[in-house]
Amino acid sequence: MSKVQQRDVFDAIADPTRRRLIQLLAEAEDLPLHELASHFPMGRTGVSKHLGILKEAGLVKDRKVGRETRYKLDAAPLKEVQDWVAYYSNYWSANMMRLGQLLEEEEDA
Amino acid sequence: MSFSLNMDFQFETTVEKLWSALTDSRKLAKWIADNDFKPVVGHRFQFRHQPNEYWDGIVNSEVLAVEAPHRLSFSWVVGEERHTVTLTLDDLGNGKVHLRLEQTGLSNKAALAGAQYGWKAWVEKLEQVLAE
Repeated sequence: MSKVQQRDVFDAIADPTRRRLIQLLAEAEDLPLHELASHFPMGRTGVSKHLGILKEAGLVKDRKVGRETRYKLDAAPLKEVQDWVAYYSNYWSANMMRLGQLLEEEEDA
Repeated sequence: MSFSLNMDFQFETTVEKLWSALTDSRKLAKWIADNDFKPVVGHRFQFRHQPNEYWDGIVNSEVLAVEAPHRLSFSWVVGEERHTVTLTLDDLGNGKVHLRLEQTGLSNKAALAGAQYGWKAWVEKLEQVLAE
């Protein structure tokens, strides 16, 4: 966990609004709050709170451009999620190799 | 929020042989771990992996569905992790059988650190077996 990351990335993606925000930011270079808020019924304050949580998890960076704040995705912390799932996929891949071997042995027997 | 794992495998065998490898306790032991599995819905059993200093190696399970020879489902509980594993067999003909593995409900990382250590050691052992 990096030192800027104050929140568990799994918490950050636990909410459908935040997953949608990640998706919107993934499709753009960076976006201002009003543009992001236009996709949700909850208004700017609500969206801003969600962006705050994403920021705590290190998933979103913000910067001031003139009078507006623009938000940008940093997908790096999502690797933790990928690793978590990959761990199970490694486990089963290894098991299935053994299953394949077992079936071959039976064929020979 | 929970995660699902979906994996597909293909084996050159018959549906019956694959089903037997998935549901015969002694055969399961050869490719997953020692166990007291019985293909009976409601049967509670354990997979007992090699324990290590972080994890006792035990997966607590209950058989949820047995539809011979096409579908097997059981719960998979380690610590706070409560998953469901479903195996679906599909005869492709020409001596080929497709196996789909689905593991749902992956949510909490609490059990991960210990288990990761265990799997790492275990995969190394598998590599040795394969090299023999």
